[in-house]
Amino acid sequence: MTLKTHFAEHRRFWIGLGSVVFFLCAWELILTYVFPVNPFFFTKPSLIAAAFREQVQGAKLWHDLAISSQAFIWGFSFAVIVGIPVGLVMGWRRRVEYSLDPFLTALYASPLIALAPLFIIVFGVGVLGKAALVFLLSVFPFIFNTFAGVKSTDSLLINVIRSFGGREKDLYLKVILPSTIPYIIAGARLAIGRGLVGIIVGEFYAASEGIGFAISQAGDTYRLPEMFVGIIILSLIAVVLTEIMRKLEITAAPWRASDEVR
Amino acid sequence: MAPFIQAQNLSLSFRPKNREPVAALTDLNLAVARGEFVSIVGPSGCGKSTFLNILLGLIKQDSGTLELNSTPITGPSQERAMVFQEFGLLPWRTVAANIELGLELKGTPTAARTERATELIKLVGLNGFERHYPHELSGGMKQRVGLARALATEPQVLLMDEPFAALDAQTRDLMQTELLQIWERTKKTVLFVTHSIEEAAYLSDRVIIMTARPGRTKDVLQIGLPRPRDYEMRLTPEFNEIKLRIWEVLKEELNSRAPL
Repeated sequence: MTLKTHFAEHRRFWIGLGSVVFFLCAWELILTYVFPVNPFFFTKPSLIAAAFREQVQGAKLWHDLAISSQAFIWGFSFAVIVGIPVGLVMGWRRRVEYSLDPFLTALYASPLIALAPLFIIVFGVGVLGKAALVFLLSVFPFIFNTFAGVKSTDSLLINVIRSFGGREKDLYLKVILPSTIPYIIAGARLAIGRGLVGIIVGEFYAASEGIGFAISQAGDTYRLPEMFVGIIILSLIAVVLTEIMRKLEITAAPWRASDEVR
Repeated sequence: MAPFIQAQNLSLSFRPKNREPVAALTDLNLAVARGEFVSIVGPSGCGKSTFLNILLGLIKQDSGTLELNSTPITGPSQERAMVFQEFGLLPWRTVAANIELGLELKGTPTAARTERATELIKLVGLNGFERHYPHELSGGMKQRVGLARALATEPQVLLMDEPFAALDAQTRDLMQTELLQIWERTKKTVLFVTHSIEEAAYLSDRVIIMTARPGRTKDVLQIGLPRPRDYEMRLTPEFNEIKLRIWEVLKEELNSRAPL
């Protein structure tokens, strides 16, 4: 394969990469030659890269990551455990839908992050408070997407199960849940972003360790390259997790992938 | 002796919210013998599919009786199985797993299920596609799975609701011939709803023509063509004669309706 055909086949990747490289070079050059700003107030890629190397080799970054992940995993797991069943029952039982709807609509629409101080007061500064915040923020995408998935279940398939004498349990296990799984995975994708916000805000607000704390501390003490290292690590984690979800969505529901126009 | 399937004065109205009730069936009378292949034709909206759904046990009539083997139908049961127009296959299941669905719901052990599915895959000519998913199949193949799934539970009655309407013309012709071969081997009682006069004439022992909504039996025609039937039979004058007879009865009903 020649270089040219390789480029043609992976156009998306190469153009995307080129655009990122261009952005970084422009940033570096502008801050070096055009506006040589005091590094105290702003920073550039070369300084961030140096800080990155240093941080990755040290122990503090990994410790902070471990602390934050712990809270994230707890909160996120509970969001899955609570959100999916609530969404399933809400989608299938009209009465449950109607009685939960006002609460969920209000909670979903309002900036829940405003409750962060309350959560920290009630649950404390440690893992519990942050996990509770992650749960609060990430449970709604699970509830709503599961709900939407149930609502869009093909009624023909419900009739098929019924016609073979299937019971309510069979409807759930053999049709509603499997047809809802792609929706749940899409919900997980949203929930990841929101859960990360929960962690960071929780740690901004009150913490003595964790990646959010590290970012806010670096900012407070004008160590901008270090601050950017935290931000970049977070973005990387978010991108990797969402990409995993996207891949999962395709493997879990191949019949949908083939319908989509790419 | 009472007929195998008997509907007497069967009536059903739908009551959409905030609107007048719509009578789907009024006083439908019909009798089908065991092992018979009966087609139901009629104008759109005449309640043909509604009747099949009552027979399947998914909806209930307002009044009248519907009996199978002298027992009233009260709900779904595996003695009746439906082949759906839009296939109704579970997209996350393989061909084999789709065919096993009814057996699974009945609680048949895995080994027996697999054996039965293998048998049916052979019967409908899907060898080699056991592990394929519905989205990888053509329309005709999907309906073969639908047919195999319905036959898997060994029902006494096979209900077919325009099963070939979603297929292209050639696949349709092919599937009709194969359905006849399968029917001759399994000897199920078949109720077949269709819009196609040709399909009804080719497949059936008898054709029931329904009136426009609300549906009643307008006429019943005996199809005297010998069996086994083949595609060439459709080109004979006798076959055209039968089609014309069905058309003449049906025409009055189509004319009685407001223009579409």
